[in-house]
This record gives sequence, structure tokens and C-alpha cells, in this order.
Amino acid sequence: MRPVNSLLIGAFALATGSALCAGQGSEDIQIHGFATQGFVVSNGNNYLGMGTRSGSPAWTEAAININDQVENKLRVGVQIHYTRLGTFGGDNVSVDWALGDYRVKPWLGLRAGKVKIRWGLFNDTQDYDPGYLWALLPESIYGVDIRATNLSQLGAEVYGKTSLGRKRGRLSYSGYYGYYFFASDDGYMALFNASGYTFPKPPGGKTPGFDLRWDTPLPGLQLGGSLMLYNADGSMTNGSYRMPVTFWPTYYAQWNIKKVFASAQYTKLVQYQTFSVTDAVPSTSGSDTRAWFVMGGYHFTDKFQAGAYYTHDLQPSGGDDSNPANFYKDWVGSGRFDFNSNFYMKLEGHLMDGNLVGFYSFDNPNGFKPRTGLLVAKIGFTF
Amino acid sequence: MKKLLLAFLLLSALSILADRAQAQVLVIANPAVKASDVSKSELRDVFTGATSSLKSGAQVIPVLLKQGAAHNQFLADYVGKSDSTFRAGWRSLVFSGQASMPKSFDTESAVVEFVAHTADAIGYISKATPHEGAKVLSVR
Repeated sequence: MRPVNSLLIGAFALATGSALCAGQGSEDIQIHGFATQGFVVSNGNNYLGMGTRSGSPAWTEAAININDQVENKLRVGVQIHYTRLGTFGGDNVSVDWALGDYRVKPWLGLRAGKVKIRWGLFNDTQDYDPGYLWALLPESIYGVDIRATNLSQLGAEVYGKTSLGRKRGRLSYSGYYGYYFFASDDGYMALFNASGYTFPKPPGGKTPGFDLRWDTPLPGLQLGGSLMLYNADGSMTNGSYRMPVTFWPTYYAQWNIKKVFASAQYTKLVQYQTFSVTDAVPSTSGSDTRAWFVMGGYHFTDKFQAGAYYTHDLQPSGGDDSNPANFYKDWVGSGRFDFNSNFYMKLEGHLMDGNLVGFYSFDNPNGFKPRTGLLVAKIGFTF
Repeated sequence: MKKLLLAFLLLSALSILADRAQAQVLVIANPAVKASDVSKSELRDVFTGATSSLKSGAQVIPVLLKQGAAHNQFLADYVGKSDSTFRAGWRSLVFSGQASMPKSFDTESAVVEFVAHTADAIGYISKATPHEGAKVLSVR
């Protein structure tokens, strides 16, 4: 863990602890948590770093948070998260967020510390499994194997909401500036390692950005856009790594009315990175990907909801759009049953075409097959 | 046969009316809240965490019942969500570090007590529950 990371987290853990011990009644302190266990089986290829072809239960997630509403405008809190996804994640827990939140007015609030990044429909909630219908979010945009890197930033966020008038709806906004580091145990680092690049400490950089979402006058319809910027520098055992400033925009819409919910999101990412190995010519690689999804669902009863989505990821920079290495398509059908407000289960089927995201050569040593069928079952508990 | 049908219809109507009467809820607020009425969409936005103020500009703090007929009726009539969907929405805010859960109470008298003594508080109770110290907001 980087010193700045440790310092900030330590400071806010201290702040949180102090506030919790400052003579307040226990009714001001909230503790919430969740835990999920998944079972994944596939044909064609192994998926997400798990031995899914023979069936894998190696997907466990859990989190616990503590919040203290110190006074009407000030809240402090921290959340610890655990993820094991096949070879990713691990036995260590990580600080998901640890912040102080001062809401001056509904239209102006400030969060500082380690703060979740609002980007698109799911970035800040994607590691809270009980929050959505799907067992796996669209891998093309919300890759569960690489999500840890861009979940949060160490810095500050200004946020708020304002009414645009009775007939114009409401605007929500978030702007932030901070630092981030590649997660040491996710898919990005696995790909670096597979290419022979070893980092004693994960690279990192600055990540400013903003999110703007408009609750339109049409009931339940929200339109939005986000832009995340980031760069990265790092030292390898035999050289250095550099990623210049990258722009990651996305546009999205969601519609929730009565028992129906639907959403869509599009993003385009152009990114370059340079590996400078001692005594060798620096190697610069670039990628250009466009990804989108459409999803919809219906609450059949208070306890049962079901839905489907389609997602598509294409890498034109690969040069051959028909090569499975340069695209990824996934048809998904999903159902969720809530036994009560604490326990739930999910069952989901995937028909995947292409290998652009989520597939790794280390657990598919004989090469990739173009198509993969996948079945995911999850049980979970939240409080 | 006609009499039987008539009796059945009458019983059904009485049953529906009894349910409605029993389930009616009142929206209450601290007397300092600068509003005398509130719209259904304002209630939905406040109680789902979408906003923390009314259109009048008054800031409000929502207070919940943990369960019961008044709670379910309030969610159905004004929030448009089942209890599990409603809680899932709040939990998404909590687990993403955006908010803490609203205070929730086991009994309606505890809701009244809290609302009456907490500036900006807004809650809901059954129509029959005494609500001394809190003011009733009419719903538009």
C-alpha cells in the first residue's frame, strides 16, 4: 500500500473512531454488511480466472461498513471489502471507501478521503451484489475481474442536486479529483505479469472527473453522462511504465417506472501505455474499444424479478473485427428471488461470443474457443 | 341468485372500504418544517434519498417505521415500491458511501416522539395514532 493511501485511510479511520467514541448514542451509529457466494459453470472456455469448465465455487464477496451521522450535515464512515474471484482478489481485505461527508446544502456537499467514483450507471455500486438483479454486470463495461482499480479515488468530491423547475426535472452532479492505484491482485496486473512486466508496487496516477445526471420531467427517466480521466506511472523490476492522460467518457439512460426497469450505456476508450525496459527500445501499445449494453427487467412479485441484457464490446484497433480476440458479445437472462429483505438468490445464464474481455490464457492454456456458455448461481445475505 | 350476488358484491365493497380506512396513513413533520402540504412526488424523492428538501425549500430528514401496515401502505401509496425494493435502494446508497440509512423505529409512537422533537424530521403513521407535538402535512 502506498504511503499516501495508508495515511489517508489511517486519518479517516481515526476520525471515524473518534466520532464514534465522542459520547454519541448507539442510535447514531449504523453498521451494515453483506456476503455472497457464487457457483459458476461453463463450457467452451474457463472464465474470469476460475476453473469454470469443471464448475467453480471460487467467487466469494463480503463487505462491512460503519457510518456515523455526527450531526445533520456531517457524516463519517468506512467500508471494508473482501473479494475472491478465482485467482483474483485474495485473502486480504481492502478499504472500499473511508470518508468524511459534509452536506452544506442539498445543492452542495463535500466528501474527502477514499471516495467511490461516480461513473456511468454502476461504477460506484458494482461491488454491492445485493443492489441489482444481475449476477454479473455487463463485462464489457463493468469487468468484475478488473473493477478494483477504478472503484475509488483518494481525494475529494464535490456533489449536489438541484431542481430545474417544476417542468424541467432535477440535475445531480459530482466532480472529483484524486489519486488511484492499480489493484495489486486484479486482471490488469495479471495481464501485465503474463506479458513479463513485474511491478514491485502497483502503478498509479491522478484521476479527476465528473458525472452529470438529469432526472427528466418524464416520470422515472434519467439521462446522464460521465467522464473519468486518469494517467499512470510506475516502476517495474527492469524498467518503467507510463500511461498518458486517458479520457474515459460514457453516456447512459435508465427508466424505472412501477415494476419495469430498463437502462442502456455506451462508452468509448482510447488508451496508450509505454513499457520502457532497460537496454531495450520502449514499447508503446494502444487500444481503441467501444462497448455498450441494453438491459431490462420486471418485478413479477415483491420477491421475484427477472430480466435480460445484451452487451457488445468491440476493439477496432485490433484490425480484424471478425477475430474473436477483438470482440465480445453476451446474451444474458437472469432471475432473482428475495426470500426476505435480507436473504436472496440469483440464477443467470450467459451465451458469449468472442474473447475480448474476461478470458485469460493462464487458465485456457490450449487457446480460446470462440463461444462460451455460462451458468451462474449466487446466494447472498445483506443487512 | 340475484340476492346472493348482491350480498357478495356488498361484502366485497365493504371489505375494500374497511381495508382502505384501516390502511390510511398520515404524513407528519416537525412543527418547524416550513410546509403545510407535500406532493406525492416530493414524498417519493425524500423517502428514496433522491433529495433532502421539499420544493418549498424546507430541508427534511426522513424517518421510517421498521415494518407494519402503515409502513407498507405508505410505501405502496407514496413511494411506489415494495419494502425489499425500497430497502435495496437505500442500501445501494449506503454501500457506495453516499448516505446513511434513515432512522427507523419499531413503533408509531416512537416515530411521533422523534419527529416532534427533531427539527426537519418527517415521517408517517396510521391515521388513528395520536400525534401530539407533530404537525400533519396534507398530501397533494
